[in-house]
Amino acid sequence: MTILVIQILNSFFYAAVLFLIAAGLSLIYGVMRIVNLAHGSLYALGAYVSAWIVGSAVGHALEGNLGLAGTLLLLPLGAVAVAAVGAVIEPTLLRPLYRRSEEYHLLVTFGLLMILEDVMKLLFGRTPLSAGQIMDQMGSIPVGRLMYPTYNLFVVTVGIAAAIGLWAFIYRTKFGVILRATSQDRRMAAALGINVSRVYVQAFAIGCFMAGLGGAVVVPAQAAVLGLGIEVLILAFVVVVIGGLGSLQGALVGALIVSFVRTAGIQFFPEIELAVLYLIAAAVLLVRPTGMFGRA
Amino acid sequence: MEHRNVDRRSFLNQLGVVVGSAAAATAIPAVKPASAQTPAAPKGRIPDTPLKFGHMTFLTGPGAVLGEPSLKGHILAAEEINAQGGILGKRKIETITADEAAGTDANVKELRRMKLSEKIDLFTGVISSGNTPALGPVAEELGALTIFVDGCTDFLWDKAVPNPKFAFRITNIQSADGVTCALAAAQAWPEAKRVAHIHPDYSYGRNAFDHFNIAFGKLVPGIQVVSEGWPKLGTTDFTAHITKAMSSNPDLIVSSVWGGDYVAMYKQALRYGMFNSAKFASTIAFGVAPHAIGKDHPEGVIAGVHANYYFTFPPGNRWPANKRFVEKYYKRWNEYPNFQSDGAYHTLYMYKTAVEKANKLTGGWPEEEAVISQLEGMYFETAAGDLYIRPDNHQGYKDAVTGFSKNVPEYPFPILDPNRMVTIPIRNITAPPHWPKPGNGHNDPTATYNWIKETWPQVA
Repeated sequence: MTILVIQILNSFFYAAVLFLIAAGLSLIYGVMRIVNLAHGSLYALGAYVSAWIVGSAVGHALEGNLGLAGTLLLLPLGAVAVAAVGAVIEPTLLRPLYRRSEEYHLLVTFGLLMILEDVMKLLFGRTPLSAGQIMDQMGSIPVGRLMYPTYNLFVVTVGIAAAIGLWAFIYRTKFGVILRATSQDRRMAAALGINVSRVYVQAFAIGCFMAGLGGAVVVPAQAAVLGLGIEVLILAFVVVVIGGLGSLQGALVGALIVSFVRTAGIQFFPEIELAVLYLIAAAVLLVRPTGMFGRA
Repeated sequence: MEHRNVDRRSFLNQLGVVVGSAAAATAIPAVKPASAQTPAAPKGRIPDTPLKFGHMTFLTGPGAVLGEPSLKGHILAAEEINAQGGILGKRKIETITADEAAGTDANVKELRRMKLSEKIDLFTGVISSGNTPALGPVAEELGALTIFVDGCTDFLWDKAVPNPKFAFRITNIQSADGVTCALAAAQAWPEAKRVAHIHPDYSYGRNAFDHFNIAFGKLVPGIQVVSEGWPKLGTTDFTAHITKAMSSNPDLIVSSVWGGDYVAMYKQALRYGMFNSAKFASTIAFGVAPHAIGKDHPEGVIAGVHANYYFTFPPGNRWPANKRFVEKYYKRWNEYPNFQSDGAYHTLYMYKTAVEKANKLTGGWPEEEAVISQLEGMYFETAAGDLYIRPDNHQGYKDAVTGFSKNVPEYPFPILDPNRMVTIPIRNITAPPHWPKPGNGHNDPTATYNWIKETWPQVA
C-alpha cells in the first residue's frame, strides 16, 4: 500500500515536469506550426541557470537573508532566462523559415539543440550542478515505513498551477483569443490588424518559459547534467503523440499517461520499461493518428 | 562445481582480498618498471616528423563528464613528452580529437578517416563499451595501432577480437568491476541476503549485474535478487526505481549507474531515505571526476571506481608515481584526476616506452611490429600501481581496488576512506589465459563468469 502511494506520487511528480515541457512544445506547434526539437535543451538550460543561481555564492548569500521562500523564488529566474533566449531565437532563426517546408524547421531546431548543448557545456562546465539545498530544507514526510520528499509535492503543485494558469490565459484572456485566432488563420488575423509577428514572439517566449520552468523546478530534485534535455525531449514527444500535438488538454492527459505507464513499467516490467511507452504511442497513432485531442 | 567445505573468511583470504590502510596495490617489484629507467640516447637516425595521434572520447552529452578527464590526461602526457622534444627526443605528438557521442557508426567511420586520410600513428581513447567491440575489428582490419583507454567490456576480447594484433586496452576488464564490488560487499556485509539492483540498461549495467550476482552468490549462500531496475542511460529521474528497490525490503542495493546519472540518483536517494534503509554498493560511484560528488554523498557505502584507480591510492608515501601524477595533473588542470585521466595519461607513456625499447633493439624509428611486440607482455608502472599487458588478449591488468566513502577535512568532496581501502590481486578474479570463451563449450556472459561458476567453491 505504501509503495502504491509513493509510486503514485512519483508519477504525479514526473507528470508535472513532463506537462510543463510538453505544454510549451504543444503551444509553439499550435501557434507557429514549428516542431521545436531544441525544446529539451531549453528545458536543460532552465535547469542549469536555476542551479547556477541557487547554487552560486549569490544564491547562498540570498538564502541566508531570504530563507526557504526566497530561495524558491529564485528558481523561476531560470525560466525567465529561457524565455528571454526564446524571444531572441524566434525573430532571428525561426521567422525566416515559416514559409518553408517542415524539413527546414527540423534542421534549424536540431542545429539549435546541438548549439545549446555546447553553449551549456561552455558556460557551466561538465560537472553536474546542484540546487539540492532547497530539498534538504524542505525535508521529507513519512509515508508508512518509507519517506517522500516534501519538495516533490511542491513540484506537483507547480504543475497543477501551471496547467490552470495556462488554460485561463489561453481561454479567458484577450491575448488568449488573439493567440487562438492567429493559430487558426494567420492571414485573417493579420488582416484584422493583429501584429502577428509580436504574437509569435510572445507565444514562443511563453513556450520557452514553460520548458525553462520545467527545468527550474526539477533541478533541486535531481541535478543539472549534460544531456539532460535529450531523454526528456523524447518523452515529451511521446506525450504529444499520445495527447495530440498542439493541444493543451492533450499535453496534460499525455503527460499523466506517460508518467504512470513509465512508473508501472519500472515497478512491474523492468526489462521493457521504455518499450511499453512506445507501444502505447503506436497504439494511439493507429487508432487516432492525430493523438487523443489533436486536430487533423 | 567443486564442493569443498570452505568458509567465507578463508576464501576471501585465499583470493587475497585485503582491507585497511596497510593494503598496497602491489608489492614493489624487484625489477624497476620500465618507465622509471632513464632512457638512453636513441639509436640510429630518427625522423623529426611529428606523430599524429587520434583521441576519441565523449566531448559532449552525459558522457563528457568522463570524456573530459580522459582528454585532459592525454593532453598532459603529450605536453610533457613534447616538452622533452617528443618521443625518442625527436617526434612530437600532435593530437586530433573526435567526439564519441557521434554514435557507433559515425565513430567507426571516423576511425577509418583518421587512419586512411589523417594517417594517424596511434588511435586511443574511447569510453563506451558499446563502441570498442565495433572499433576493435576495424582497427585490426586497418592495421591501426590502437590502445583503448576504456570501453572495457569483456566482449571485446571474448568475441569481437579474440586474437588481437593491433588493438590493446589499458584499463581493467569490466567483469572485475562486478566481482570486486561483490567481494567487498561480502567482506563487509556477509549477512546481506536480499539484494536489489539498479543498473543502466546497456552492456555495462548487464555485465555488473551478472558478475556481482555470480561472485556474491558464491560467498554469501542463499542470496535472493529481490528487485531489478534498468533505467535508461541518460535518465535523471530515478524516483520510481528507488521506490521499487526500497519497497522490496533489501539488505543491500547494488548499482552501476555512473557519471551525471549517478549524481542525480544519489541526490534523489538521499531524500527518499534509501541509504538509511539498506546497505549500498556501487561499482563506479566515485569513478566520475572526484569533485563531481558533493559532501552530501552518504558515508560508508561501497563507492567503486570502475577501472581501479582512485587518486588518493596508493598513497604517495608508498607509491611515488601516484603522488607525482596527481600533483602534475592538479597543477595543469586545477582538479584531481579520475581513472580516465590515469588511463589516457599512461597510454601515451606506455607507447613511448614501447618505442624506446624497440629502438634499442632495432635502431631508428621502429617498425609498428616491433612496437607491438614490446607492448605485449609489458609490465608498466602507472599511478594506480603496476599494469601488466597480457600478451594473449592485449588486455591491461592491474590490481582491483574499491573502498568506502568518507568525508575528510582535506578535500571539498568525499573520498575513499584511506583506512578501509579494499584491494584484490587481479589474477584471482579474472579468468586465466585460454579459459574457454563464450560459445566454446559454454554460453555464459563472459569467460570470467564461467570461470567463477566452475572453479570457485560455494561458501557454506
